[in-house]
Amino acid sequence: MDGGKFFGAFRACSGIKDAVTLTHVPVGCNWGAMMLKTTSNQPDIRQACTVMHEREIVFGGEEALREALVRADKLYNTPLLAVVAGDAPAIIGDDVEAVIDSVALNKEVVWMEAAGFKGTMEKGYEEALVHLARLMEERNVIKKSVNLIGFCPDDFKVDADIKEITRLLNSAGIKVNCVISNCSFEDFVNAPAAELNVVIGQGTELAEHMKKEFGVPYLEPDYPYGLEGTKEFTNTICEHLGIGYDAEQEFDLEPFKRIYLYLHELYGTPVSVIGDCHAEPMAGFLDSELGFDIEVLASLEDDYFIFQQNVRDSNTTILFGSSFERNIADELRIPLVRFIYPVFDHVCVYEDAPYAGFRGAVCLTETILNAVMGFDDKFEAKTGGVIIK
Amino acid sequence: MKTDVEVDDKTSEPFETVNKDAIRDIFRDHTFHGVHQDTMWQLHRYGINCKLSGSVYAVTEIKGAIPLVHGPNGCAFHQRLTPRRMYSTVQDMPCTHLDENAVIYGGEEQLREKIIETYNRYKPKLIAVLPTCVSGLIGDDIQGVIHEVEGKVPCDVLYVPCEGFAHRSRQSLDVMMKEHLKAWKDPTMFPTREIRGCGHMEVMLALADQLMEEQDVEEHSVNIETFGGRQNYGFKRQLEETKKLFASMGIKINTTLLSCTVEELKKAPAAELNIVGRGIRWAEQMEKELGTKYLLRRWFLYSGLEGTEKFLMEIASKLGLDGEAEEVIAREKNRALQALDKYGKFFKNYEFALFMHGFFFTPHSVQTYPVDYNIPLKYVCVDTRRLKEHNVSDETIDNIIKNTEELLEEWDLGVELVINPTLSELGEIAKKVDYVLGGRSTALLYEKEGLNVVNTSIGTYSSPFGFNGKVEFAMNLVREMRRQHNKRKTIVSRLNYDESYFPMLADPMCLASREMWSTMWSLRGDNKLRGG
Repeated sequence: MDGGKFFGAFRACSGIKDAVTLTHVPVGCNWGAMMLKTTSNQPDIRQACTVMHEREIVFGGEEALREALVRADKLYNTPLLAVVAGDAPAIIGDDVEAVIDSVALNKEVVWMEAAGFKGTMEKGYEEALVHLARLMEERNVIKKSVNLIGFCPDDFKVDADIKEITRLLNSAGIKVNCVISNCSFEDFVNAPAAELNVVIGQGTELAEHMKKEFGVPYLEPDYPYGLEGTKEFTNTICEHLGIGYDAEQEFDLEPFKRIYLYLHELYGTPVSVIGDCHAEPMAGFLDSELGFDIEVLASLEDDYFIFQQNVRDSNTTILFGSSFERNIADELRIPLVRFIYPVFDHVCVYEDAPYAGFRGAVCLTETILNAVMGFDDKFEAKTGGVIIK
Repeated sequence: MKTDVEVDDKTSEPFETVNKDAIRDIFRDHTFHGVHQDTMWQLHRYGINCKLSGSVYAVTEIKGAIPLVHGPNGCAFHQRLTPRRMYSTVQDMPCTHLDENAVIYGGEEQLREKIIETYNRYKPKLIAVLPTCVSGLIGDDIQGVIHEVEGKVPCDVLYVPCEGFAHRSRQSLDVMMKEHLKAWKDPTMFPTREIRGCGHMEVMLALADQLMEEQDVEEHSVNIETFGGRQNYGFKRQLEETKKLFASMGIKINTTLLSCTVEELKKAPAAELNIVGRGIRWAEQMEKELGTKYLLRRWFLYSGLEGTEKFLMEIASKLGLDGEAEEVIAREKNRALQALDKYGKFFKNYEFALFMHGFFFTPHSVQTYPVDYNIPLKYVCVDTRRLKEHNVSDETIDNIIKNTEELLEEWDLGVELVINPTLSELGEIAKKVDYVLGGRSTALLYEKEGLNVVNTSIGTYSSPFGFNGKVEFAMNLVREMRRQHNKRKTIVSRLNYDESYFPMLADPMCLASREMWSTMWSLRGDNKLRGG
């Protein structure tokens, strides 16, 4: 169940926290992106729409775009307008670039074609970052500094995870120069000052571009879930920067000791995981550190019906995914642990309760145990269409 | 101002038909569905949802039906969460996954294959093909494809034109408001127009056109077009109550549209009368093709006790049951009046201010408070700013204000009308009365000033049929008034809100985005763009 290129581009652009994203689309695409983005940050409305209607479909949407650009330029106090053009303008052939060139604007404008039918959400994200990269400027390199690439502002737990990853890297003497895409315009422009790009799951095309244009090398570690995952993540970066540091010294087993018997009991629990670039590292943590058995591991691009069938045919007792998996979890009467975009039926606002990093391993374990122990439907199981109580 | 009048809201149940779980059910709705309501309203200040989402919601209301999105992945992705059912996403919604090749060469083959695959996978009774902007633009012959595959799948296949770019017209709300204004003073002028492009209406019309079959008509039976869905907590309770009332009037409910099965939909024409809640085009079509009469629920004219009586009498009259039903209706109304009389004796000892948005029903809603509940209103504060955001013209807004003033004066309600007060002005007004009646969002703000606010949101969840909802509302109002809220220091009341657009925060980015949307939405309505 992939969101398509438009959603990927929108999410990449809206991660520049003081920028405004102007969507050149009919109303529905603009609404969908906004609705899924604002669950855990309701006042973060930094988007505008050209409101394409039948009239624009017939006569072209260029006038609407021009009008929107001029108005947005006046209305918003922001350094950047990111124009994301969706399916309709791509089919009717609006010349977006010509429109942008035809108006005198005070702000930087970057535009990208992001027709949903032209690729996946990940592709949209990758291409959008490369488009935005033209704003970057050559900078003196700050030793032992990194950019973290691969985030979106509406990822579940994004702020808490970034805070924890930054804490860990700081402990090792590493400065986080810029988090892409969850940063200010200024930080984004200054991203080439980093000694190393750390690509976590997505953003490889931007890293390639920066390597070519600014000579910034990059690494592609997994998302740092769990103790081992976090250690590997931190140590890999340290090793590359020539820092003699072993993150294992940060291990704190005390919280796990407090609930260790539950973890004994849950050893061998059959679980399934679906998700974006977070899914495999999550499955890795569940398997190797909690001792769960992974029944089904699926990506967003897989056939969703087949995924659901596979889960139904498995022994899955906990499902890990997004809010979209609530129906199948309800159907099978099993708990759902939400960890990937989009999450719209849980909020995450506390920045000290991450899922990533060492502290994240504790929070995640706590969430899983609470999901199991507080599960309401635990005395009912559905077998062959018959509910057994 | 204190009173010695006591109302025991626990024991004063007015008539035996009152369901003791009614208020709890409403609060469940209020909590579990209502939690999303302010968010949805707020998001409407920055945009509107797709026509496709209305169609997705409507199709998923039908048991045994499955929506098939003919478009790219992204459409099926985010439309699983439709604003009308934020509490429950759509699970099964196949998509033709149109890609660049399909855009160039057409997506008909993908649709053909997907219809067959959809049947094989889900075994639905009905597949509703929902086109998107992309399939609409590339000009796929969807009806042709459906015609071709109909014999290959043992289920019905429906075509619903719901391309996203054909959403409602920017002028539509203005036109609707203008027509409603006429009806405020002359009920015979009640408009039968509807807002084109909501997506729901398109499904209703397609069903009437393509699915419903001629039936032997069962005398005194009706179809009710419901507004809330069958997954809403209050739905079953409301339906039970309505069934009971209708049964005592000699009326049978044939089906509830669209909260029914595909088979029940096909048999909908067995009803003698359609009670229409939203748009009438489908009902007109049914009348024309299948001979089913219809009655439009004329919202504000049917509010209040008198309005409810009128509504029920009109239903009875359409079914030729005037005499039998009249006695039942009078009895039920009388029971409600007796119950409300007790509450009225309590309310009349206080002074109230009412805060509301200017909308289709404004003066008639105001009238309900003093007339039905005996609530002495001193001030009525009406906010018309949201209408402006939705492209209602200045001329129409001026007329809303003028007509409201005239009607309140004509009805001699003795209230002072305050238009678009700021937050601090509302605070001043609140100090001059004992209670402020308002929605949830404003209640919190008054508390910042230490003012007593009574939350009236529960009224929106009450049953539209019958008299019980009014008694439940009054009962709850008394409970609310007895609570001592003025010592609360709520966290949200500490936030900095915009004076004009509360509950929007005073955030420059939010305010700019609101203005941007409002401008872009209205500009083309006025045909000001050169290309328009």
